[in-house]
Amino acid sequence: MNHSRRIFQTLKYIFQPTQKQPIIMKAIIGLGVILGLLVILPSVQYVLAAGDEPGEYLDRRVEIWGLFYRLMIVAFTIGTVVSGTIVWLVLRFRESNPKAKPTEYEDSGTW
Amino acid sequence: MRTRERGKMSGHSTWPEWVYIGVVVALLCYVGAEAWNIERIIEHVPADAEIIKVTGQQWLWTFEHEDGTKEIGELHVEKGKAYKFEITSTDVIHSFNIHDYVVLLDAVPGRVNTVWFSPTDAGEFPIQCREYCGLIHYNMRATLIVEDKGA
Amino acid sequence: MVLELHKPRPIWQIMFSTHHTDVGLLYLITSLAFMFMGGALALILRLELFAPGTQVIADSMTYNRIFTVHGTTLIFLFILPSASAFGNYLVPIMVRYKDMAYPKLNAIAFWMIPPAGALIWLGFADFTWYAYPTYSVISAPGPAADMWIFGLKILGVSSILGSINFIVTIMKCKHPDLPLSKMPLLAWAYLTSSLITVVAVPTFAAALLMLLTDRLGASGFFNPAMGGDPIAYQHLFWFTFHPEVYILVIPAIGFMYEIFPRFSRKPIFSHGSGVTAFILLALVGFASWAHHMYATGMSFTEKTVFMVGTLAAVPASAMHTFNFLATMWGGRIKFATPIMWAVGGIALFFSAGAGGVVNSAMPLDFITHDSYWVVGHFHLFVMGTILFGTVAFVYYMFPYVTGRMYNEMWGKVHFILSFVGTVMVFFTQHILGLFGMPRRIYDYPPIPEWVQMNIIISIGAFIIGISMAIFLANLIYSSAKGKPADMDDPFGLGGKYYFPYQAKTPHTEGGGYH
Repeated sequence: MNHSRRIFQTLKYIFQPTQKQPIIMKAIIGLGVILGLLVILPSVQYVLAAGDEPGEYLDRRVEIWGLFYRLMIVAFTIGTVVSGTIVWLVLRFRESNPKAKPTEYEDSGTW
Repeated sequence: MRTRERGKMSGHSTWPEWVYIGVVVALLCYVGAEAWNIERIIEHVPADAEIIKVTGQQWLWTFEHEDGTKEIGELHVEKGKAYKFEITSTDVIHSFNIHDYVVLLDAVPGRVNTVWFSPTDAGEFPIQCREYCGLIHYNMRATLIVEDKGA
Repeated sequence: MVLELHKPRPIWQIMFSTHHTDVGLLYLITSLAFMFMGGALALILRLELFAPGTQVIADSMTYNRIFTVHGTTLIFLFILPSASAFGNYLVPIMVRYKDMAYPKLNAIAFWMIPPAGALIWLGFADFTWYAYPTYSVISAPGPAADMWIFGLKILGVSSILGSINFIVTIMKCKHPDLPLSKMPLLAWAYLTSSLITVVAVPTFAAALLMLLTDRLGASGFFNPAMGGDPIAYQHLFWFTFHPEVYILVIPAIGFMYEIFPRFSRKPIFSHGSGVTAFILLALVGFASWAHHMYATGMSFTEKTVFMVGTLAAVPASAMHTFNFLATMWGGRIKFATPIMWAVGGIALFFSAGAGGVVNSAMPLDFITHDSYWVVGHFHLFVMGTILFGTVAFVYYMFPYVTGRMYNEMWGKVHFILSFVGTVMVFFTQHILGLFGMPRRIYDYPPIPEWVQMNIIISIGAFIIGISMAIFLANLIYSSAKGKPADMDDPFGLGGKYYFPYQAKTPHTEGGGYH
């Protein structure tokens, strides 16, 4: 059996748009997986290159704190986006904002 | 991009939420991959690492080198060499921590835990206990002394 | 309303009542009392940690006892009962039933709490709220340790009984015309947190029993000298207590699901997404427990499995955050006290979660395990999210319970001081942990950075303390002398206060006991 054809067909099945899920979500998850792989593959080479001799040992401090700073950058970026959104929402949609207008539910008084 | 026809539960398009969840999942994949990778790297113990037995007990640390030398409250090591700690406890759970070298692992009675490091800076570094162990947990300290080669 | 202080009902009528509003009131008063007591203990700790050396606590054992009872009280005697309080008030109303499914069992579940609280406070154990062996087996002084174990046993049973009540009321007693999919999200919150409880808590009940028999010398489950394994306890403990943190947070998120739509004057952005997120969190929450044990010497594969389980729970929380923000978008929001607390709570929920994602990365545990980073992280959840959500709901329900309005200005002052204090204390603790300060220590060496940060943290803690004193005064004064509230729309929003499940209780005019 032609294995590469089978693999291609499976991939096509996974990535085709369906009525339930727009392709953009799958694209983003696929992107995430690829990003993850792109991080691992170069590092595998790095690990194999790390020596067992004095002077070539890994410095765990550098590795661990490096990871910490990378994740902090991600966390603070998202944090800025989320906090910024909250601040904007609070200011824009407060009652006392000059642009505030009643919601479509206020006529009936039920929401 | 078509509006989801399935969005009957909220009565309006919900694709922004799906995009948002996609971004969140992608970021989590990145975090997981990075963490997995770094852990794999640092768990690789060099073959020539010298073994130091670490024993925690209420409320002090004792050390035994490969050649039988014992130390209490102080640990002398040589800069640039690799060392593997075999950590255990004689009474309750403690946790062996050299914060400046990011070494941290529990000392559990009845079991030996292993972690390795290689000091790259000479000097004195605090060793502290990082698991509650009673009255003097707050002061269960020792000192790591890293000496230059040949000292 | 239930609490009419000018013409109070006989106290024994409330105490012996099995009606859900009375049991709810008992839970509410008890939980708030323990909140203030547990918080006061924290202030004593922070006074001691203000500087190196001894300040107000004479010896380390007293310090250890205080932090143990602080944590135990606030988790088991404040957060859980306060969730039960509002659940008791609202779940029967939300499912359009006359009371809880088992009213007498309901009252019994409440009355287990005061004796359990007494056991914990009269004992004042010192072994942290985890009670890890082998310290808790061979070294912790009794009878404090044994009293704590019995106290928690009783609380566990109370929790399970209360959860059974919620589950049966919601699943079996709800009105036939109300499908589960249309049930308010707060009711869904109670359903999912109760389901988690009945699955998770029995494990800890077993662990407690094993701990007790170990202490008595009759068994050696966790004692290596008798062939046992102390790490086994940690697995049992965290198998319960990781899902437990979801039991703690889900009701607070449920409270926010009431507040955001009401005050934004529009319905929740996506009811279905909220339901999905609750169910997902309940299921996935069982897959991550050993991320608390990364430092115990687990293998690489074990750690990876639990990291994946931890990360898998994040999208559910992200869905709730999105839902709240999308609900505010396009609304016309009246920023009264309840929604200020809810918005603050969501902002802090996000930072707690972001710290959690960082924590789940196994190598970073070598920096942060058992340091003040962890203390800062979990307090952002329990204080920043859960307490903020609960206080928001206390203010929101104040007119319902007392028939009067609280003082709005002091409510807002309470919020601002608490928010500033919370950020000062718990964000700084993250940094303090990165500098290496361990948790659960009575004293610390005079490292300049540690000293500076501890001062900031202690000042922040006292700011929170002042705000809570204001809260207490507002609660008591307004219950007695507050302006009578317009029970149809106490916040002046335009909609009905408890539409669509406004219901009569025995205490509204014309009502009598059923």
